[in-house]
Amino acid sequence: MGQTFSEKALGRKAGKRVRAGDVITVAPDYYLSHDNSSAIIGEFRKLGLKKVVAPEKIVIVLDHIVPAADEKYAQNHKTIREFVAEQGIPNFFDIDAGVCHQVFSEASFALPGSVIMGSDSHTTTYGAFGAFSAGIGRTEMASLWATDEIWLRVPETLRIEFSGRLSPGVYAKDVILKIIGDNGADRANYEAVEFVGPAARDFSLASRMVLANMAAEMGAKNGYFEADDKTLEWLRARAKADYEIVMSDPDATYEAVLKYDISTIEPQIACPHAVDNVKPVTAVDGKPFHQALIGTCTNGRFEDLAIAAKILKGKKIHPRVRALILPASREVYLEALKKGLIEIFVEARCVIVNPGCGPCLGAHEGILAPGEVVVSTSNRNFKGRMGGRDSEIYLASPATVAASALEGKITDPRKYL
Amino acid sequence: MEKDIRQGRIWVLLDKNGKIIEDIDTDQIYHNAHLHITDIAEMGQFALGNLEGWTDFPKKCQGGDIIIAGRNFGAGSSRQQAVDCFIALKVNALLAPSFSAIYFRNAVNSGFPVLGVRDLESLIAGKKFVSGDVIRFDVKTGQAENLSRGIPLKIEPMSSVQYEIFKAGDLFKYGKTLT
Repeated sequence: MGQTFSEKALGRKAGKRVRAGDVITVAPDYYLSHDNSSAIIGEFRKLGLKKVVAPEKIVIVLDHIVPAADEKYAQNHKTIREFVAEQGIPNFFDIDAGVCHQVFSEASFALPGSVIMGSDSHTTTYGAFGAFSAGIGRTEMASLWATDEIWLRVPETLRIEFSGRLSPGVYAKDVILKIIGDNGADRANYEAVEFVGPAARDFSLASRMVLANMAAEMGAKNGYFEADDKTLEWLRARAKADYEIVMSDPDATYEAVLKYDISTIEPQIACPHAVDNVKPVTAVDGKPFHQALIGTCTNGRFEDLAIAAKILKGKKIHPRVRALILPASREVYLEALKKGLIEIFVEARCVIVNPGCGPCLGAHEGILAPGEVVVSTSNRNFKGRMGGRDSEIYLASPATVAASALEGKITDPRKYL
Repeated sequence: MEKDIRQGRIWVLLDKNGKIIEDIDTDQIYHNAHLHITDIAEMGQFALGNLEGWTDFPKKCQGGDIIIAGRNFGAGSSRQQAVDCFIALKVNALLAPSFSAIYFRNAVNSGFPVLGVRDLESLIAGKKFVSGDVIRFDVKTGQAENLSRGIPLKIEPMSSVQYEIFKAGDLFKYGKTLT
């Protein structure tokens, strides 16, 4: 019987043939952590060990609260920098780099067929490159630093087959919101989600990252796209190590197969306070709001900023709205700068925030007051996540957020095409 | 083993309409405003601090209590504080029809008992789980009983890896048993 991608990728690491449901122990290729490295260091110290086992496998990116918003965060960053120096960790990215998932991808630690663990729930993002990548907690990360081993239960797989072509004004974000809305925030709990089919190959890598990133919001352990010519093109200039593409066998066993003709999807929006509370944008058209946010690990890449800039060019943000733009990384920022996007944003009255997580997790740089409403390209709209506990978060594509920012109310972006 | 048998008063997380609350996310369990706290003992006071109707839970909870929640408990962030806050309150166990994947792993690795329970809605409707009742269960067999009402129940037992880590205490202690 055939195997799924996840069974194969984990089996390679385990050194044996594995099946969904097996519990195995593996040594991942890389392990990623961010500002929570400070708490992980605390756990690691408790073990009484002097040295991490494999410093070259540790990737640390400061992104959650950068630059440090107060003394406590500053101390956390300092603790991390000192640990990095003490342990000789080569892959450390300080506050100038950007959101961990973007930085990790740009530096090409995410290779097809590799196994990556990250102490961040959106570690699923690297499935966009054909990797097996999953989020874990800080105790497990400390344990990985100490042992270079982790137990994993091989996940069952949910296969999502795409056909058709996106209509104008509809993007990867609308597709994943539609899927989550249709199937629920726990549809893929503990499972791998494979995004396949002709239309999956049509998605750019940046768009694949949107879907793999938000697989986490269906409860998935990991997301996955088959590596193809686009993946190889991305890796050509970046990959620093050899890799082997791993794909599901034609006769692999799936928990279920969902089929989506993406040409029928229209712009979608996740309404408060759950990611699966999804409606067509037209259903909430006209809803006033206070803040617009374009960026984050979900939608802060160049293609996202380019879509927003196209809509905002030569226009002004509605006077009642504050619009924040967060390029996902320094690399994205620089490209946006060189290609004139930043000028368009500033002319339109947007505020450019430094690459990082920004206000997405409610720590700084654009926190909501009680009762305020934000329309954001990020991935979570949990109650109170971005500040005031009765504030509201709507999630949509960069096009929808940009169009809405111009009008001061939620707006279908198709009229701005 | 004595540790396998858990007994305690239950809190059934119902909303104001008496419906079990589903998809309780990590921001409702442990709000991001408190993420800078690193001392577990300080985390208990913020448990369920952003869950409507339950913000006073840390005051009501006594050590040994058991929480019963709706499906997909712990959705969202990988923050382990969402498990640690219950450990700080000495919560005995958490039962739900399902947990988010990372939340489940965090709980397992902390040696904190999280167990599945099927047909929770009918159990609640049938008054087999009422806040304040005392229940007892065996984590290894899933045999359970509502002691207050004398009703035998069944819950999902721990998987083998979960049980091994639980028995050892936590992931680190489990790791030491392997070497």
